[in-house]
Amino acid sequence: MASNALGLFLDPDSALEAARRLKGAGFARPELISPIPIHGVEDVLGPKKSVIRRFTFFGGIFGALSGFTLAAGTAVLYLHPTGGRPIITIPPFLIITYEMTILFGILATVLGFLISARFPAIRERVYVPEAGVDRFAVTVDCDGEERFRRAEAILREAGAETVRSISEGES
Amino acid sequence: MQTEEQQLQFTDIHNDVVRSLVVTGRGYYITLGCAIFVLLTCFFFPWFYQLYYGIGAAGMNSPTVWGTYLASFIFWIGLSHSGTLLSCVLHITNSQWRKAMYRSAEAMTLFSLMVAAMMVMVHLGRPWFIHWSVPYPNQMELWPNFRSPLLFDVMAITTYLTGSSIFIYMGSIPDFAAVRDRTTGWRHHLYTLLSLGWRGTDTEWHRLGWAYTFLAVLIIPLAVSVHSIVSWDFAMSIVPGLHQTIFAPYFVVGAIYSGTAGIVTVMFVLRKYMNFEQYITKLHFDNLGKLLLVLSLLWSYINILELFTGWYSGTSTEYEQLKYKLFGYYAPLYWEMILFCGVAPLLLISNKFRTSFVPMLVLSIAINIGMYTERFLIIATTLSRQYLPESWRVYVPSLVELSIIVGSVAMFVTLFLLFVKIFPSVSIYEVKETMKIPKKKGMPEWQATH
Repeated sequence: MASNALGLFLDPDSALEAARRLKGAGFARPELISPIPIHGVEDVLGPKKSVIRRFTFFGGIFGALSGFTLAAGTAVLYLHPTGGRPIITIPPFLIITYEMTILFGILATVLGFLISARFPAIRERVYVPEAGVDRFAVTVDCDGEERFRRAEAILREAGAETVRSISEGES
Repeated sequence: MQTEEQQLQFTDIHNDVVRSLVVTGRGYYITLGCAIFVLLTCFFFPWFYQLYYGIGAAGMNSPTVWGTYLASFIFWIGLSHSGTLLSCVLHITNSQWRKAMYRSAEAMTLFSLMVAAMMVMVHLGRPWFIHWSVPYPNQMELWPNFRSPLLFDVMAITTYLTGSSIFIYMGSIPDFAAVRDRTTGWRHHLYTLLSLGWRGTDTEWHRLGWAYTFLAVLIIPLAVSVHSIVSWDFAMSIVPGLHQTIFAPYFVVGAIYSGTAGIVTVMFVLRKYMNFEQYITKLHFDNLGKLLLVLSLLWSYINILELFTGWYSGTSTEYEQLKYKLFGYYAPLYWEMILFCGVAPLLLISNKFRTSFVPMLVLSIAINIGMYTERFLIIATTLSRQYLPESWRVYVPSLVELSIIVGSVAMFVTLFLLFVKIFPSVSIYEVKETMKIPKKKGMPEWQATH
């Protein structure tokens, strides 16, 4: 079973510094866990890309198409001529299209968020309760005693308040 | 030492919010009990009475076929406009002062929308046929008429309700996780479920930041469209006084105006009775006061413009309508509205006024009374005086209608009281962001991403 080294820090700068050193020492994917979003993570751990924008974009397009199809399609299915005006009237149908674009844009954004952030969590993951309150945690995968000791040394050197070993599913 | 100061502050907000959820005084239960009692007696009882004896129990009759129910509907939709909209705009412009108050403001949006939806149900003579406004394949092969502004309304409000619920929920996920660890029993289970397994990793924050910003960007134009569409319910008719192009901006400005006043009222109550004095400060009231001042001037400008276009049109019906509004049967209400929404808010020019809590509360309530009057006048002054003088008839709301107005306020209060005990009503993680974060010596100043 894979175990993780966990270092708890009092401030975000030290945590970032620890993550930088761990990465430099060849540890794969150090992870920061914090009570607030930390600025500058991408400078240390490399840029992050998310697929959410694609979800929003295509969700919006799907919504626009389905909105117009709904309004125009139902108008054709149930003909209701008024005052010689066209059956498929553009200005009012654009409003329906607009609303549906936003509705599906929003729903797709949520879906994109859930998928890209891997929510909801079904399997238990590494969790640090202190990092939900006022501590900044750095965790890193390390197999074997020797790797753990090395990670521990780096974490302590960067100013970790406590270092402990933690395995997946344990909190 | 700085780090100790930070620890104290971070745990402070944590403790304060958890306390606001789990520690409940007798005052809360008494208020909740009163609100539920008023809700049952003033809202549901008259509504059932109306359902049993027919829509005649309400004072609406030809020619004023729309009455206070729809005035209330516009009022509640309007009140919903500041919460999510303001929160989105302030999020995108990266305003720090938003953070302590946005959660409650968004909740206000959500609950006003729910009350607004209920007002439509009350207005319908046969609410059990509400599903006819939803497009679904049916035996009669009938479809809703998408050329009608009423159908625009259905689509816009459904989208807005969905969007606002999602927006408030997404912003609360980290907070649900934060309070999850501090609670027990049913609350613990509820927050575990709602937090989706949030841990606060850098990836999760990154994804949340993006998704939240996208939602904010989508919701701003949506909110503007919602009240524009509500205004078209009126403006697309050919009734004098309603058939005006200014109506969409007029409604949107009015909505944001009454919504901002609503936020001031809610902030006052939260600050005073939920002990959030440290987080909701004079700064918030000052900024909201400035916003109210700008909105009141804008609102006054549009009102003057409305009068001017009516007068300048030169058509007898418009002119007659205008005269009726200013000097007719409803004139006292009109001048009350001008006093509360146009004149009294000029007090906000004073710094001292904006930073005094009780005067701000009084003014915010006065503005909303004025705004309710505005919505009532939009319907009452126009529909009671259309083209044919023989069909002119004054509209006065019946007791059932007046009671339901009071009941709708109780419904809002009940929902809000339940909310403050279930949702963290101040955003924990965003307030933490605004706190002083310690930095190591020799390191660049640390700043929060959002």
